[in-house]
Formats: sequence, structure tokens, C-alpha cells
Amino acid sequence: MTEEIVFEQEFPVKGGDFSRAGQVSCKIKNLLQELGLGTEIVLRAAIVSYEAEMNIIMYAWQGCLDLSVTPHRIRIVVKDSGPGIEDINLAMKEGYSTATLEMRELGFGAGMGLPNIKKNADEFWITSEAGRGTRLEMTILTNGQKP
Amino acid sequence: MTEDTYHSLQINMEKCTGCVHCLTACPTKAIRIKNGKAHIINELCIDCGECIRFCPQDAIDSRTTSFLDLNAFQYKVAIPATVLYGQFDNATLPSEILFALRRVGFDYVYELSTINELNNSAFDKYLHNHPKPRPLISSTCPVVVRLIQRLYPSLCELIVPIEPAREIAAKILRANLPRVLKISPAGIGIIHITPCPAKMVSINHPASMEKSYLDGAISIRDIFKPIFQVLQQSKEETIMCHLFPETIFSGIGMGTALSGGETRGLKNYRTVAVSGIRDTIRVLNQVELGLLKDMDLLECTVCPDGCVGGPLAVENRFLAKSRILRLVNLMGERTVVDSSDMDLLYNKDFMSFHHPLKPVPAPPLDPDPAQAIQKANRRNELFKQLPGKDCGACGAPDCWTLADDVIRGMAALIDCPFMKKEKK
Repeated sequence: MTEEIVFEQEFPVKGGDFSRAGQVSCKIKNLLQELGLGTEIVLRAAIVSYEAEMNIIMYAWQGCLDLSVTPHRIRIVVKDSGPGIEDINLAMKEGYSTATLEMRELGFGAGMGLPNIKKNADEFWITSEAGRGTRLEMTILTNGQKP
Repeated sequence: MTEDTYHSLQINMEKCTGCVHCLTACPTKAIRIKNGKAHIINELCIDCGECIRFCPQDAIDSRTTSFLDLNAFQYKVAIPATVLYGQFDNATLPSEILFALRRVGFDYVYELSTINELNNSAFDKYLHNHPKPRPLISSTCPVVVRLIQRLYPSLCELIVPIEPAREIAAKILRANLPRVLKISPAGIGIIHITPCPAKMVSINHPASMEKSYLDGAISIRDIFKPIFQVLQQSKEETIMCHLFPETIFSGIGMGTALSGGETRGLKNYRTVAVSGIRDTIRVLNQVELGLLKDMDLLECTVCPDGCVGGPLAVENRFLAKSRILRLVNLMGERTVVDSSDMDLLYNKDFMSFHHPLKPVPAPPLDPDPAQAIQKANRRNELFKQLPGKDCGACGAPDCWTLADDVIRGMAALIDCPFMKKEKK
């Protein structure tokens, strides 16, 4: 197999920085558009990155979205240092949220973040260590539609 | 689409000094300075007119209809945007302004607040008949429509497929005037009076129909003085026309020139009104991520405070807004459109788009995905070498755009004065 051409970029995200919410996912969206990917693929990647970005802003101290794109797939690895998730199965449930009342008043914390990522990504892995942080890995295939 | 006459905005090469004000003001980064003069990149320009506001040399013109062009028509009709009512002093009432317009050279003046109201009830009906998807977006601002086609292709289907009031008004006139006046349709010129540079583009290259019902657009800037002179010279007559008004105004349709005016009449729906180009872009980003699904209708106008802040208006938008608000308060909720008339037009699809809006995607970095990825990598490397001062001296609005231009073959890294220095 020949060496694959890959585009890589890191996007740091600061916890608690609600005023910049959505900036990273917007940059990722524009970039993928420039790479000539289809509207539906770009939108799915934008939604996935937005949810991941918001999770860092809402719950973690700091984190980073690592984007890598090859002609066949988009991979986004999200690492944060934060409180981590105690029960991943519970967190994956639609409507489950540990958001504070304050966050809910801002319109966040509907408990749809992780389920939404799972819905829009072709592959999704999540690992977390309580008290340390969470790692997400999402893949979207660019040459095929999600079944 | 790339021909020189597509856009309404053009640079006056004699006045342009090649400064960088328009570069940084342009929300789509469509301007470059080459050989000391500003140039507009046709594919990127959305005719918002931000550059007009920021140019200190008054070197950016908007190509609108001139008075001489009117001579081509046997019968001339004006459809003034309601923004016009805010341009003259407090004592000048809309009926007087319409009178003055007739004196200026129009055979007939068609008042738009009524059609604004008609449009409003059409929106009401459309929202009622289409519970999904949400939020729907109004098509009134031609710049928003073009912005969505270019940058938010997935939102095209959210635009309410109902033509803006100015087109519906012209369509009604086209359907009736030739018969009533016994003049051939080609002899009748229907002209919009507007504060907006993009109206000319929406007339010459409509996004949702084959051909616009309007024949042109005259800017308020150009027509202000003639109207003002008539108002000065024929005070007695204008007072008479105020005492014996020929036109009925709609209270609901009067405030459409202000942000939120279009959604004001929609009492049963949750609406958001956004104004200003940068805020519009911010909110459209959120809509694309599915964050505004709990809203029914989004009204975006790229000019600050709505059309009243249009770059081709004369009066500052705060005074104009205050005057229009006064009219809105005076007229209150007065409605003039019969709901059965509206139903009739609505059911005949009289107000609907001829064809759906199509996305106009920007060209990718390269048609080949592997090449595009390599170019994106190269662009990041180039960007790291640049000083990051975003000074505009290279002719691009910022360092990132210069890097982008270099990989697209439109510029060279050496255009940056800081890079030149290092080479020495």
C-alpha cells in the first residue's frame, strides 16, 4: 500500500469558554468544504465536531480536536483533561445529562451530545477515566453514505 | 456569471487610492488590491455593499438604473421600498413622498406596505401548512439568499419559497397594467426605489425565477434630491394630497424596513430577527448545526437594523428608524389585505418561487481530493511563514487569505512586504 496523503490540524478548545462556542467546528466545516467534500459529509462532520467541542467547553478544563483527512475518511480525535465520565453507557443515553441548571438556561445540556455524535459518525469510540479526562475518536467515510 | 456586469458593485478606478479599508470590511473576502487599485473577485462577491460604507474615497459605486434609462418606457411605474418614508423630515408624510415621486417623472406609484402585509399573511399560511423543517428563512434580503447559496448549501431548502413583496407587487402590476392602460407590456417600466445595492443583481440575475418582474432599481441616493426639490417647491400641493390621500397604507406592512418588521405580524409563531452581515453569518452557522430547530422563522437582513441601514440610503439609519417607528405606531395593526384575496393568490401559487433555490458551491482547493489535501497542507505551511499582522499591504485582506491566494495561483508569497525584507 502506498503512503496515504493526509491533512492534519490541531484545534485547541478551552473549557468554560462559551463565548467562542462553535468556532472550531465552523473552521473544520469551512476547511472540509474547501477540500471539496459533499454537503452531507461536511455537515455530519460539523455536527460531530460541534458536539465534541461543546462537551469540552461545558465539562472539561481544556482539550483538543485533532482532525485528519485522507481522500477516503475524516477522523477526529478529541482528548480532554477533565472530570471524565463515570458511566459511559448512561452518558450515551438520549436525554441523560449532567449539565448544570445554568448551562441548561443557556440552551445546552439536552443530553443529546454523545448520541448525536454516534448518529452522525460512521465509527465512534469513547474511553474515559474518572478524574482525568475523556477521549473520543470519530470516523466519517467520505466516499460512502452512512448506512 | 463571471462577466463584468454581473455584480452591482464596481470600483471607480480614478477615485480608488488602493487603501485597505474595503479589504477588511468585506465579509466574504472578495476584494484584492492589485497594482494599487481595488478589484472585486466576482465569484466571491455577494453584493452586500459593506465596502461602500467603509470606502473613505467614495470610490465604490453601485450600478443602479439611471433616470435616462427610464426614457425607454412609455409608462413608468415606481415601487418605492418603505425605507423611503424615513428619509425626509418628521413633517413629511408618506402620501406626500409618493406625490413627489409622481412629480419626479413616474406616471404611477405603487405603495409597498400593502404588499408587505400580503406577503406576511402568505408566510403565515406557509408556516401553517409546513410544520417541518425548522427554522424556515425569509427570502426578502437578496444578499442572504446569495450568502446561503454560496456558503450554506444545506440551508437552501429552508428558505420560504415565496417571492419578496417587491417582486409580487411588480407581478400584480404586470398582470393588470397592460390591460387597463392598453399599452404593450414592453412599454411599461416597473422600477424599484431602494437603499440596497443587491436589488439590481436580484433583478438582473434572479435566484428563484427565470426573469424578474421588475425592470430596474433606482437608489434612494440618486432620487433623494429630485424628491426633496419637489417637496420644497410644491408645499401647497403636497398638503392637498395629504388631505385627500389616494393611497391606503398598511400598519402591518409599514415596519418591514426595520429588522423584525417582517415577522411582526406573525403572532402565532416563534420568530427571530437578525440584522448585520456578521451577525447573520454567525446565526446561519448555528442554523446549519441544527441549533435553532425550536424557532419557526428566521428573518435575516444583512444591513444593520434592517433595510433602513442600506448603504444607498441617505438619512442615517437611526433617524430613519425613528420616523418609520412613528408611522408604525400611528397606524398600529391596521390591515388592508382581504384574507380571501390572499388565499386566492396563495392557492394559485401566484407568490411562489418559479423554481427552487440551487446551491452555488465555491470551487474546492482542487477537484482531486488528494491534491486538495496537499494544497491545504501547503497553505498551512505558508501561513506559518507569514508575519500574521493582517495588514493588507500584500493586497489580500489578511495573511491567511494571502496563503490561500498563493496556493490557488492568484498571488505570490513575495507580495508580502515582510517576506521581501527577509529576502534582502
